[in-house]
Amino acid sequence: MDGVITFFSSQQVIKAEKVLKKAGFKIMLIPGPREISPNCGVALCFEFEKQIEVQLNLKDNNIIFEKIHYFPEVKKISKWIE
Amino acid sequence: MKKIVYFDNAATSYPKPKTVLKAMKYYFEKVGGSPGRSGHRMSISASRLIEDVRETVAKVFNCPDTSRIIFTKNITEAINICLFSLLKSGDNIVTTSIEHNSVMRPIRYLEQNGISVSIVNCFPDGSIDPNAVSRKINKKTKLVISTHASNVIGTILPIEEIALITKEKNIPFLIDCAQTAGAIPIDIDLQKFTNCILGFTGHKGLLGPTGTGGMCIGTDVNISSLIHGGTGSNSDKDIQPDFLPDKLESGTINIVGIAGLKAGIDFLINEGIPKVREHEKNLVNIFIKNTDQIKSIKIYGTKDPDKQIGLISFNVKNLSPSEVCFLLDYKYSIMSRTGLHCNPNAHKTIGTFPDGTVRFSFSYFNTVDQVKKSILALKELSMNKYN
Repeated sequence: MDGVITFFSSQQVIKAEKVLKKAGFKIMLIPGPREISPNCGVALCFEFEKQIEVQLNLKDNNIIFEKIHYFPEVKKISKWIE
Repeated sequence: MKKIVYFDNAATSYPKPKTVLKAMKYYFEKVGGSPGRSGHRMSISASRLIEDVRETVAKVFNCPDTSRIIFTKNITEAINICLFSLLKSGDNIVTTSIEHNSVMRPIRYLEQNGISVSIVNCFPDGSIDPNAVSRKINKKTKLVISTHASNVIGTILPIEEIALITKEKNIPFLIDCAQTAGAIPIDIDLQKFTNCILGFTGHKGLLGPTGTGGMCIGTDVNISSLIHGGTGSNSDKDIQPDFLPDKLESGTINIVGIAGLKAGIDFLINEGIPKVREHEKNLVNIFIKNTDQIKSIKIYGTKDPDKQIGLISFNVKNLSPSEVCFLLDYKYSIMSRTGLHCNPNAHKTIGTFPDGTVRFSFSYFNTVDQVKKSILALKELSMNKYN
């Protein structure tokens, strides 16, 4: 995973996790990387190549997010949990 | 020791479903974390749990957006947040003559600070003419607040009609569902009535623990917070976030209580709130039918089970309400509530101020046998056995 979505509110992260999991996306919640967002403590990792589908899915479900980031540094985390 | 009969469910419901205790235990043992405060799995599990509870609450209140469900420590707090947020000096508020002190006391405080108060008189059976509410509304009215059902005599108020009136006039309408949430279906669709706020408590009809409550806020109502503080979000700024639910949920939420509340509501959803309603209505019906002919027992309110929730106020001739309450407890192990029920105005409306009444309030767990037992007890009391 090399994409990260940041949110203002932790409630919206949980909502996003629910709908994206249900839609079959490969995702994971991680502590929000300080470099990209100071807002909510949790961020959502995903595969950046799916950004259009993911964004549409969030929009369709009225989920408010801060920003979608290409953040390859997060690959490290994916490796740690393999 | 006789088996306890608990008829004080309008104060707090007892017993709770066993699943409520299980859910609270599960939180302490298996979840543990603080929601929205960190990225570790226990915190995330707590956040997931809170969102699950919001989704469950949304089902009871027809609330289309879970971010507009706010948890507070009780409905009194939710009412105070609304009143202090929506009203400023020079504004007017319209309310009814049967409101609980959780509504009247903050309103009287605000009155001393330049807010005018218009009270719509209810009839002695607690009912109200919705057009009378409409007539009280003026250009300065910034909020209408009404109970959904009286905590003294149980009368159900026509909140949908008042919601229509206030929606038309574009005025926020706060509905106090303290006695109705979980006990009767709430016929306010927040998707339609975007001007409404539904306040609820968790520990009565919703069968959760004390210390839980909140409100569901329609999309046309903008409420600011009374309590400002940490939310886990916008941590780089020292000003309050402007988005819901964070804006109105500062400080760590009562997550163990809310976990229990979810189990209470799940129990009701599984049983079916209409079924709960029918059961309590039947108990009221049996009580009224069997006591109406006893001349020394006076029942207040509509005396129509269709028009009231599962509670009844009455008095026994030649005994004060507190004597009846004491005798019911010590001689028959029946728990009732006596006095003014935190509601002097309702007692003035029905003509029982300052002595008050005895109140029985039923729950889904009360039985027909218990009601019959209470009727026999009251028959004995009414025969002046203890005078």
